[in-house]
Amino acid sequence: MDREEEKLVKYLESLPRFEAGEDFADQVMCHIEERKKRPSYAPYKKWVVVALAAIFLLLVFLSDLPLLPRLEISPSLGYRKVELVFYSPAQNPRTVAVAGEFSSWDPLPMNRVNEECWKIQVELKPGKYQYGFLIDGEEWIADPASLRQVPDGFGKFNSVLVVNGEYSS
Amino acid sequence: MYEEKSDGELVTEVLNGNDDLFYFLIRRYEKPIFNYIYRLVKHREEAEDLAQETFTKAFFALHQYNHTYEFSTWIFRIALNVCRDHFRRKKFLFFSLNTPVGEEEETEWGDLIEQNSFLDPDGELSNQELREELEKAIDHLPLKFKEVIILRHLEGLSYNDISRITNLPVGTVKTYLHRARKKLREELKDYLD
Repeated sequence: MDREEEKLVKYLESLPRFEAGEDFADQVMCHIEERKKRPSYAPYKKWVVVALAAIFLLLVFLSDLPLLPRLEISPSLGYRKVELVFYSPAQNPRTVAVAGEFSSWDPLPMNRVNEECWKIQVELKPGKYQYGFLIDGEEWIADPASLRQVPDGFGKFNSVLVVNGEYSS
Repeated sequence: MYEEKSDGELVTEVLNGNDDLFYFLIRRYEKPIFNYIYRLVKHREEAEDLAQETFTKAFFALHQYNHTYEFSTWIFRIALNVCRDHFRRKKFLFFSLNTPVGEEEETEWGDLIEQNSFLDPDGELSNQELREELEKAIDHLPLKFKEVIILRHLEGLSYNDISRITNLPVGTVKTYLHRARKKLREELKDYLD
């Protein structure tokens, strides 16, 4: 350590020390007392983890849910670009969204082409998908331009989109 | 009476159910722990909160304390982790490990330095400007350097203790200290000649 460094170390060691308030220790003890009164779930934590793991394994082996990741070389491999068109001269809506099995029935807002026509492009794997349109955020209707329709179980109909290619129905 | 007990004895008493004795451990370490945290976060309220969190965590984790190590090392390690979590929460960690923490509280820092508390080892450091430059230079250090420089030169801990606190090999601690001092020397070269 040369003289410069020795000087620096001395300066560092001479820096002022900062202190907490006078009643700091009392405050911490109060805080600890408060924490003690709170219910603690720590003893149950490992049992919760074990139970969740058991439920997950049961679901993996006893259900068809896609819980395990599937190996795919490219995520975009096998997808088809599909353009969905909503065309209805009579309706004249302010907003149109499409929802279907491909979106887990989450509405996907469509792009307005003109007053009568709305479009959206989606990437789907080959297969059959039920879908419908959501008009102005409240009215569900089947695709007026499609004849492929199935009952939706609530007294109305869903349209059916068929994406060509190899798929298991 | 309890003030005379060793850290290990106090810990044993607390673990045997005499919780109130933890007070004496707080009293024993509140100054170095607060000073350490304050120098890292540079904000009084935050430092008090983090110091409080440090001792609270220590209390509830006391059964995990390994008596073969010094209690001081253990409590510093908790403080360091609490501070790192704090920076992570503030999304500073990535930034701070590589670059200095911002200077947004520089004014407050300057205000808090006690005018007469700075010693004068060579009879030439009574000057306010130099002191401020030194504070600023420490402040400019990356967090990983700041952690070790404070532990070594302000808290006076050994390389081995710093190694246990930071979970770094002793060689790395020495390297960090060397690089930190080099940076400080560069920034303070006008005052060290």
